[in-house]
Amino acid sequence: MNLKQSFRMAFKSIRSNRVRSLLTMLGIIIGVAAVIIMVSVVRGSNQQLRAYYERLGNNRITVSAQQWGGRDISQTLYDYCLSLGPLVLGVTPDATTEGPIIYRDKNTEDMENGSPTIKLGSAQFSLCNNFQIEKGRDLCQMDVQSGQQVVVLGERAARYLFNYQNPVGKTVLLHGHPFEVVGVYRAKDPDSEYSMDNMAVVPYTLNRLLNRQSTLDAFTVRAASSAATAEVSSRVSGFLKGQIDTERGYFSVYSENQDAKASDDQNRMMSMVLGGIASISLLVGGIGIMNIMLVTVTERTREIGIRKAIGARRKSILAQFLIEASVVCGIGGLLGIALGVAGTLIAGQLILRAVILPDLPMSAGAFLFSVAMGVGFGMYPAAKASKLQPVVALRAD
Amino acid sequence: MSLIQLEQIYKIYNEGKENEVRALNGVTLSIGQGEFVSIIGASGSGKSTLMNVLGCLDLPTRGSYHLNGKLASRMNDDELSHIRNVEIGFIFQGYNLIPALDALENVELPLIYQGVGAEKRARIAREALERVGLGDRVHNYPSQMSGGQQQRGAIARAISTGAPILMADEPTGALDSKTGEQVLGILRQLHKEQGTTVLLITHDNKVAAAAERVIRIADGQIVVDCPREEIAL
Repeated sequence: MNLKQSFRMAFKSIRSNRVRSLLTMLGIIIGVAAVIIMVSVVRGSNQQLRAYYERLGNNRITVSAQQWGGRDISQTLYDYCLSLGPLVLGVTPDATTEGPIIYRDKNTEDMENGSPTIKLGSAQFSLCNNFQIEKGRDLCQMDVQSGQQVVVLGERAARYLFNYQNPVGKTVLLHGHPFEVVGVYRAKDPDSEYSMDNMAVVPYTLNRLLNRQSTLDAFTVRAASSAATAEVSSRVSGFLKGQIDTERGYFSVYSENQDAKASDDQNRMMSMVLGGIASISLLVGGIGIMNIMLVTVTERTREIGIRKAIGARRKSILAQFLIEASVVCGIGGLLGIALGVAGTLIAGQLILRAVILPDLPMSAGAFLFSVAMGVGFGMYPAAKASKLQPVVALRAD
Repeated sequence: MSLIQLEQIYKIYNEGKENEVRALNGVTLSIGQGEFVSIIGASGSGKSTLMNVLGCLDLPTRGSYHLNGKLASRMNDDELSHIRNVEIGFIFQGYNLIPALDALENVELPLIYQGVGAEKRARIAREALERVGLGDRVHNYPSQMSGGQQQRGAIARAISTGAPILMADEPTGALDSKTGEQVLGILRQLHKEQGTTVLLITHDNKVAAAAERVIRIADGQIVVDCPREEIAL
């Protein structure tokens, strides 16, 4: 008997035992789909969080220090951070001033989600905070040194004030002072309501003009790598320990890498828990498959007896059952993947409001596991029955 | 050597234990080509065990069995499958058609295992079904046929390979006397027209009377072996 015959025979058997075939498939479909959906959703949420931290900027360190009644250490601290050389990509003060920004009849106080945050930054502001120029130019060293009244707008603020006009070259009012818009940053957080793009940045040297003070008590440092982040954090801490009398002041050095790591850890745990649940559903599916396969064993044993009595060799019997089990489980597995993909897309929309795609190795793993389960338990009774003397197999009832 | 040659065949269950059963207890028998033999005996006499050994469905515990000159009692599983496929056609009391296949497919089955091509197979199977009077039922499933029709389907399956030996184990056991007579008629006709060797196992003397030679089994041994004419049935 050739392979084509084995296939034909297997398909005939599947078609004429629809209920059995369907029940077998059902176990596989549910098992595979459950694993794919659960794992993919967790992975999707993990990716979203990681992307959030990425937009925020990797390897950022927020340094803040304050001392009451003592000398102002902001310049010393700023200089120290800059002195760290190749470990540090850039340093910018982390300070803000109150809005609003006014352009003609538009006042940002009327914005739906609040007036933009106005940052006081150095020429390395965009580098430290992961912004990129979309139009015009960024703040430059000259602007900062000479305290030019220029502003770079975030995409949200620019869109509100200027709509579809090009803001570059226009003059806006900030605290009643005229500021020239020199550039607009590219949107980096377009989906969120309280977007990181709802901002504007002016040279920090205008602190005195806008906030009537010269103290800067916080800086954002962008380190060159995650290793450098740890190094810079510890060096700055050491430096500040020597500078600040903790009785009359405080300091903190904090990196979002820690946050990102914590959330990664949390997510890994979530993955494990949900992965565990999914594995259990896969296992239950597998047990279902096993039951169906074993329950039909009597019927199949008799069939095997008949087939052997009229001349089937073990090889032919095994080939038929192997193909039958593979086809049923393979179709079930593919349907499970289809359901899993659909479920993942739907769950992604409902839970994360994003398009998440299924995890490929996981899907393949679930598919292979359930197919192996089905084929294994489909073959086992067949292998056993095909070894019997036909007369014994024929007696089965 | 005869077509079928049994020498001191034993089939012993639970040998050496308290509940030892000697289903066949030293059977020596030879059956020649073209004979029509019925093997009779009460239930439990060992006649079904004998049929299973003769049909290569079961192996004897001891003794030698030559079928067509080949030592069947020492064959491996695949060789036995081959023998059953080409040398023997079976007709069982319970028909043993595969319920998931229709009549034509059931009859084609032994031909599939022989590797006969699809067209030729279908033609042979159709002819066999026509010979047993099921020409109009080729696509009926076993569940859609009466007992007599199913048994005729089983006969079609048994003769489809052109096997030289037909073995029928209580072929009329589940049938009423009229359909039973039809089935026996088909066997007689096959024997007469094609010289097929027919072994008919039954507990029913009337059925056994269809044969030319009668062998009676009791307690696993042959007690009578004579031509039909010499025994009153």
